[in-house]
Amino acid sequence: MDNRQTEFEAMAMPHLDAAYSLARWLSRSPTDAEDIVQEAMLRAFRAFDAVRGETVRPWLMAIVRNCFRDHNAKARRHEPASETVLEHLVFDGPSPEAEALGASERRRLDRMLALLPDDYREVLLLREMEDMSYREISEAIGAPIGTVMSRLARARALLKDKWLAEDAR
Amino acid sequence: MTCAEIERTSAFLDGELDASAGAEAERHIETCKHCQALVAVAGEASEALRGRAARLRAPASLRARIAQNLADEAKVVRLTSLRPVRRQFWLGAASGVGASAIAAALALAVMVLPAAESLTASLVDDHVQALSSGQTIAVVSSNHHTVKPWFAGRAPLSPPVSDFAGEGFALAGGRVDWVAGGKAAVVVYRHGGHEIDLYVWPSQAVAPPRRSERRGYHVVSWRARDLTLAAVSDVQSDELDRFVRLVQTAVE
Ligand SMILES: [Zn+2]
Repeated sequence: MDNRQTEFEAMAMPHLDAAYSLARWLSRSPTDAEDIVQEAMLRAFRAFDAVRGETVRPWLMAIVRNCFRDHNAKARRHEPASETVLEHLVFDGPSPEAEALGASERRRLDRMLALLPDDYREVLLLREMEDMSYREISEAIGAPIGTVMSRLARARALLKDKWLAEDAR
Repeated sequence: MTCAEIERTSAFLDGELDASAGAEAERHIETCKHCQALVAVAGEASEALRGRAARLRAPASLRARIAQNLADEAKVVRLTSLRPVRRQFWLGAASGVGASAIAAALALAVMVLPAAESLTASLVDDHVQALSSGQTIAVVSSNHHTVKPWFAGRAPLSPPVSDFAGEGFALAGGRVDWVAGGKAAVVVYRHGGHEIDLYVWPSQAVAPPRRSERRGYHVVSWRARDLTLAAVSDVQSDELDRFVRLVQTAVE
């Protein structure tokens, strides 16, 4: 096997599950997520020489995010997922460990997260799933830190408003 | 219904505030119902996402496909690096390696001439189109630490990116464009009121002529390792040559 390939696999493949999770939450579709991750790994391998020594994971996640954007542009699906589409989304079942929320509330939150506009959802996912700093997110999405900050705040405010609105019903 | 301080509150949750701004944010949250609700829901969302992220697994079939893709790609990369570049022909010729190398180089030059001309045309047309649409720069930055990683995942290669502001050629940013049917990284520089686009793409059999001109724009092209580079601009041709020498020195 090629040396470069061995080296890449040792650095990138440990992050495959995380890349897949991110792609799945970004795209809200298991099949799209597979296509996105496959493309992302190939792009990462091609650009690999440029990043040796840098932090691999945020770099890889930025590529996943860009692949998702390209994939979306190709599929021309700019509109947010509908509630009916989300019905078919099978997320993992409730975790065995005790959780703050019950299963039905957890599903409600999943649904709200999935319905956030792409611009908001991606910053929230990078922040919460990947624990990236504002600077890292700013580099990943190619936008200023101020934009990252305001999108995160708006994403959370939207979630809060939806949550409270449903409670009030 | 919201509060004007949600950005600060949200940044506080992310640990992005310094101590004094953090203390202010905390004091505000204690008195603001909106921000209290925001903190509560954001906390639940955070926990949900962190919990989920840890449990999703990439399917084994996906893992296998990726391994196969990488193996295929590794072969392509090896072939590319074995492909003789033009400079090696001339080195061989100069050191008397043989007439066949010279003949091959000449044959190549003759064969590629028409296609090479059309490559020049497409570079200039692309440059002019980008200028007239005002969309020459997708990532705006004079910092090569920002511009270089921006290309990863967007372009099929990592272009050389340096700032030559001290020499009069300031890095302005970059974009991705198409050259000869493939994606090229375009690094954008400014010189006086002019723009210089440095196109970089993986070398193919056809390369633009060393220097050419079209519609008042100059194109200077060369190869470095397995990349082809072309500087396109309407600056004076000796200024463009000076720019090219700076880039070549930085690449070597
Ligand atoms: Zn508030």
